[in-house]
Amino acid sequence: MRAAPLAPAFDRRFLDGVERFTCVGTGGIGGKASGLLGAHKLLKKSLGPSEFPGLRVEIPTLTVLATGVFDAFMERNALRKIALSDLSDELIAEAFQKASFPAEFIGDLRALIEAVHQPLAVRSSSLLEDALSHPFAGVYATKMIPNNQPDADTRFKRLMEAVKFVYASTFFREAKDYIRATERRIEEEKMAVILQEVVGTRHDERFYPDLSGVARSYGFYRSGGAKPEDGVVNLALGLGKTIVDNGVCWAYCPAAPHAPPPFASASAQLSGTQSRFWAVNMGAPPAYDPSAETEYLVHAGLAEAEYDGTLRWTASTYDPESDRLSPGTGLQGPRALNFAPLLDLEEFPLNALLRRLLALCEEETGQKVEIEFAATFEPGEARFGFLQVRPLALSHGFVDVAPEDLSGEGVLLASESALGNGELKDIRDVVFVKPDRFEAKHTRLIAGEVARMNDALVAEKRPYLLIGFGRWGSSDPGLGVPVGWGALCGAKAIVEATRPDMNVDLSQGSHFFHNISSFGVSYLCVRHDRGYAIDWPWLERQKTEAETEHVRHVRLGAPLRVKVDGRTGRGVIARESP
Amino acid sequence: MTTTAVKGSSQKKGFNPFEMAQTQFDKVADILNLDSSARELLRQPLREYHFGIPVRMDDGTTKVFRGFRVQHNDSRGPCKGGIRFHPHETIDTVKALAMWMTWKCSVVDIPLGGGKGGVICDPHNLSQREQEQICRGWIRQIARNVGPVADVPAPDVMTNSQHMLWMLDEYEHIHGGKYPGFITGKPVGMGGSLGRTEATGYGVVYAIRESLKELGIKPAGVLASVQGFGNVAQYAIQLLQQMGGKVLCVSCWDQKEQQSFTLRKKTGVDLQALLGITDRFGGIDKAKAKDLGYEILPGDAWLEQEVDILIPAAMENQVTAENVEKIHKRVKLVAEGANGPTTPEADRVIKARGIHLVPDFLANAGGVTCSYFEQVQCNMNYFWEKDEVLGKLDLKMTSAYHAVSELAKKQKLFMRDAAYVISVRRVAQACKDRGWV
Repeated sequence: MRAAPLAPAFDRRFLDGVERFTCVGTGGIGGKASGLLGAHKLLKKSLGPSEFPGLRVEIPTLTVLATGVFDAFMERNALRKIALSDLSDELIAEAFQKASFPAEFIGDLRALIEAVHQPLAVRSSSLLEDALSHPFAGVYATKMIPNNQPDADTRFKRLMEAVKFVYASTFFREAKDYIRATERRIEEEKMAVILQEVVGTRHDERFYPDLSGVARSYGFYRSGGAKPEDGVVNLALGLGKTIVDNGVCWAYCPAAPHAPPPFASASAQLSGTQSRFWAVNMGAPPAYDPSAETEYLVHAGLAEAEYDGTLRWTASTYDPESDRLSPGTGLQGPRALNFAPLLDLEEFPLNALLRRLLALCEEETGQKVEIEFAATFEPGEARFGFLQVRPLALSHGFVDVAPEDLSGEGVLLASESALGNGELKDIRDVVFVKPDRFEAKHTRLIAGEVARMNDALVAEKRPYLLIGFGRWGSSDPGLGVPVGWGALCGAKAIVEATRPDMNVDLSQGSHFFHNISSFGVSYLCVRHDRGYAIDWPWLERQKTEAETEHVRHVRLGAPLRVKVDGRTGRGVIARESP
Repeated sequence: MTTTAVKGSSQKKGFNPFEMAQTQFDKVADILNLDSSARELLRQPLREYHFGIPVRMDDGTTKVFRGFRVQHNDSRGPCKGGIRFHPHETIDTVKALAMWMTWKCSVVDIPLGGGKGGVICDPHNLSQREQEQICRGWIRQIARNVGPVADVPAPDVMTNSQHMLWMLDEYEHIHGGKYPGFITGKPVGMGGSLGRTEATGYGVVYAIRESLKELGIKPAGVLASVQGFGNVAQYAIQLLQQMGGKVLCVSCWDQKEQQSFTLRKKTGVDLQALLGITDRFGGIDKAKAKDLGYEILPGDAWLEQEVDILIPAAMENQVTAENVEKIHKRVKLVAEGANGPTTPEADRVIKARGIHLVPDFLANAGGVTCSYFEQVQCNMNYFWEKDEVLGKLDLKMTSAYHAVSELAKKQKLFMRDAAYVISVRRVAQACKDRGWV
């Protein structure tokens, strides 16, 4: 079916063209691009240039390869069979790399590459995402390319590889698992691809924004006196991958940007804030691997940021004598990324802008929303790039969980930091990381073992409870189990627990959490130091269904009852058998 | 082969393609106000070679075939042009085509000059061995005057990659080395470029795509009629259909009946089905086509169809003063896939009717552009992926189209004249810069 294009046709001058949002080919433009197109129109309509003087607020220039291009690519190269097979992600990616791009569109990409010499983001924009009205956060690939090689042939080749990689990611294992969990068929999926300039500045061999962030108009995790409706913002230095990957970033409530952070001391803040950031690698070419999402990214430390001068807007300086932090980098000393120059000193009205944008988007969509953004603050050229907007899927119909329900006979575990809302009565399977076998150094192994058990349970269509230590879905194996969403997509309730040797701040909201929310999964955080323990002895007594070195799957005689109160964040899982 | 044999049309009574090429040139020379020495130089080829090629036939007899090579102008780079095998080949046709090659290389701004060659023969009646002997004999006669830095041949009417490989082999044998950049249109894996087979037909459609944008017509749903069913027509149809267009009819040459005919299907031709009943010269099996539900119409019927686009992709001299009035009033665009398919008289009618025309040496320049890419790849012995070839091809074609179109609008010129102005100006300037004129 040939749908009318939703955006003006691609202009081969790209950055120098009249339109900032264009489209190549016909068909759909997918969920992400639709959201951006809506935001593009909204910004034009509702946000005057004088509202935030000194800050250019815009959608970074982009063009969308519509799904018609994807269809032509798939059909003409006869890729369906391979795509739908059980081949590994690597083999699927390789087959896609070998395929030819549709001839009628290839000149547009060539022209784009000839016109642009700065980094580009190649982003997925799925059609099912649009059809299902819920975002598939982080399921499909996004690839950044430096696009700074002097030779246009090389730049073109890298762009083609990135586009084909994003196409291939439609059929990666995680995506297939994800779609299966939605009860839709992967055969229905089509991919549009967004080619977008990366917001940022070049610093030596790195290109990155002064900050990236995610702002939500509804907070899944509460702190201090903030209400869920007050929302939550996560900020990170560099590319947004830090936040997407559930890494260490700065979280605050936009209704109270000056509220004291949840750290016992300034030194705790110093050690507990972001210390590494992602940037596009503009330096020596990396090892060739077109099938790696991070091929052209570099993970740098604060020393590099200090050298680049980018801590100016994001850091405070620690004074060990007074154990205090001073906003900014005027003084010598260790830096803590708490974004005080922006949030406390308000050198740029970042928080006001975020609140305004959240309100605008909420009003436009009639739903709670999440936006992604990146910004640079070079005086005179300060720029706020609006990267994405999507609705937040929230549960309705609250259940009551009173404080007294959290303890007592029959409670398997309880939490005051639960996410989701509602009651589950059909879980008879529990997969848990064995407490006596857990060590942070084994989290990669644990990820694989959990994935295999998940596959078996998904095949049997048995929903299950998953319990583990640290952050699920963390890209840093030291902070938790580095699984993709597809590897635990069959879990209907997930528990994140801490223990003395895995005592990290639990997840603060990420793409991972988006999926939890979208699929209505109950998510409970159990801190070992808050008085609600997990009844491990009871779990150990249950019948073992499957077991690996670090993970056990038990099947229960009677179903568990999982209750989460979305208003209070209290959650409890009760067992019926003694 | 780049185009299919529809008719030995150059032989139509009174038609001399070289005179037509000179007439077109004279008109542009006037527009550009070229001086007399430049006119004299560019009206004629720099060099032309005539020779005999003796071949021992399969039946034991010896036959002498007439061969030609014409080098029209090499001021912008080595000559470039195909070798045609055709029973009605004439030196005037070859001279005209060599001149058009000069303009074609110039209009897409590639550093090559214009050449053309041919042999008077009919491959339909020749065995593979006999054809090989003609190819090798042609090279033996001209080997000293062609080469990667002098004159680079390519396939053309009724010659293909196999012929090119025989010629390359003979050339390398004579010169005692490996010279893959001597000839283009070689098989992929033997010095050929990916995308070369598709290049001319795709190039025609790139020009059509840009024209449609200017005319404000969406490609999805446009109707087209194509003359010819050789390589150019086949790939033009393929890409046009992939863009959502519909091709209502194609015409082709019937070797047995020695006349052309048109196949029509109102729901649109099925390219794959037709390819299944087509011989290697682009001739479609009429009886089988009928079984597949195609109407069989006279050879000229392709011109009369109620369509948006006409693509003459067969031979020169097909749209003439006699038949141009038959073009349906719906037609908005003529994209010339073949060389010289429209006579100057027909041109005037097309212009008067306001039909947008993409002239031959612009529309079908995709072939020579990709040949140039092949030569570049051969000379560095490093070969590109298909995406890279087609991406560059699209860019060259699109920018050449817009340069012509912008000039046409700016100076209120017919598209053919605008294309000529750009090319002749570049070549004349090169001759002047070299101190020739």
